[in-house]
Amino acid sequence: MSSSNELDLNAFVDGELTADQQAEFLEAMRDDPELARQACELGQLKAQLRLAYASPPPPRLRGGARVGASWRAIAASGILLVLGVVAGWLLPDDVERNRFVVLDADGRGQTPATAANDETRIVFHLTNADPLVAAELLDEVEGMLAAYQADHRPLRVEVVSHSDGLALLRQSLTAYGTRIHELAQRFPNLTFVACRNTIDRLRVERGIEVRLVPDAEVIDSGVNHVVRRQKEGWSYIRV
Amino acid sequence: MTRYLKFLLAGLIGLAVWTGATAAETGSAKQKVVYHINGDDPKQQVGALRNIQNHINAVGKDNLDLRVVMHGNGLSLVLLPDALKHTKGFKNANADAQQQAAIDNLKIQGVQFKVCANTVKGRMVNASEDLYDFSEADIVPSGVAELAILQSQGFAYIKP
Repeated sequence: MSSSNELDLNAFVDGELTADQQAEFLEAMRDDPELARQACELGQLKAQLRLAYASPPPPRLRGGARVGASWRAIAASGILLVLGVVAGWLLPDDVERNRFVVLDADGRGQTPATAANDETRIVFHLTNADPLVAAELLDEVEGMLAAYQADHRPLRVEVVSHSDGLALLRQSLTAYGTRIHELAQRFPNLTFVACRNTIDRLRVERGIEVRLVPDAEVIDSGVNHVVRRQKEGWSYIRV
Repeated sequence: MTRYLKFLLAGLIGLAVWTGATAAETGSAKQKVVYHINGDDPKQQVGALRNIQNHINAVGKDNLDLRVVMHGNGLSLVLLPDALKHTKGFKNANADAQQQAAIDNLKIQGVQFKVCANTVKGRMVNASEDLYDFSEADIVPSGVAELAILQSQGFAYIKP
């Protein structure tokens, strides 16, 4: 790929192109599946980066600017700080354990979400059309749901199928329509989710009208969804 | 009188900031990371082991709690080539001499390699004979569940 193309690719993913440029780029992507794949991957990477660097530390106040601030405000912040430190001390340990952590720029953890209870929540991200991989995934998910049910431990599982992984939920391609239906019937805490971006892309680029298995839910974007779930404290497993 | 109060408050704030800063320093003691391996492509596994070494180089082995969780085809990373004959469902067994050396090297630096019990059982693996440098402590009941548990304990997830 030429470097000007690479610039375009970044600008496209960031939504910085003009409407004309965007149309041109979409045209180029249609003729060049490799370019389309790169755009998709770059989009994913950027979404993951946004998650990893979510809520960065606030910028330090420039010195001097606020020297004249009222003593009352400073006293209030001091008291709040002391209260915060004491509250931190008194918090029970299990709150700590339930925190979901991603790394910040310095490699330290951040805590964007806390699980409300001890429910285990896992989002599986399927981007692969290989039926063997899908079979293994369904085995794993079923085994886990059954084990948690037997022990009366709360569990929620989502399978997000996106890009080539959408094959699992397409009526014409899936090898496991019946199995998916049985699993969805048996476990109300299991959800199959399809990516609308992928569905739209198939229509625009290849003229395919996707028909999903009846148990599939549709969300705006698979990547956005797995990012959102991680922010909410779900564990993430890339299939 | 108010002047003394101001001094007192300033002192208190200073103390609180100092305490907070100390707490933050001790809180970031170790970076926790779990690497997820479930594929059997030898090239990808060599790459993954290299990723891990680079990760250690960047952060320092004393600042890192790094686990590798293997399940499904991913067990091929520690599967000895002779085991292919009697195990079920494996196409590759990648623990040749070179990979063994790489694993040894990472273990010396504190990396833990975890093996999924479901895979061991389901694929007729005799763990103590078929897996390189295996010990009972390396077994976890379910690879997938282990990944979820570790993430809920604050481990960052990386799939190479």
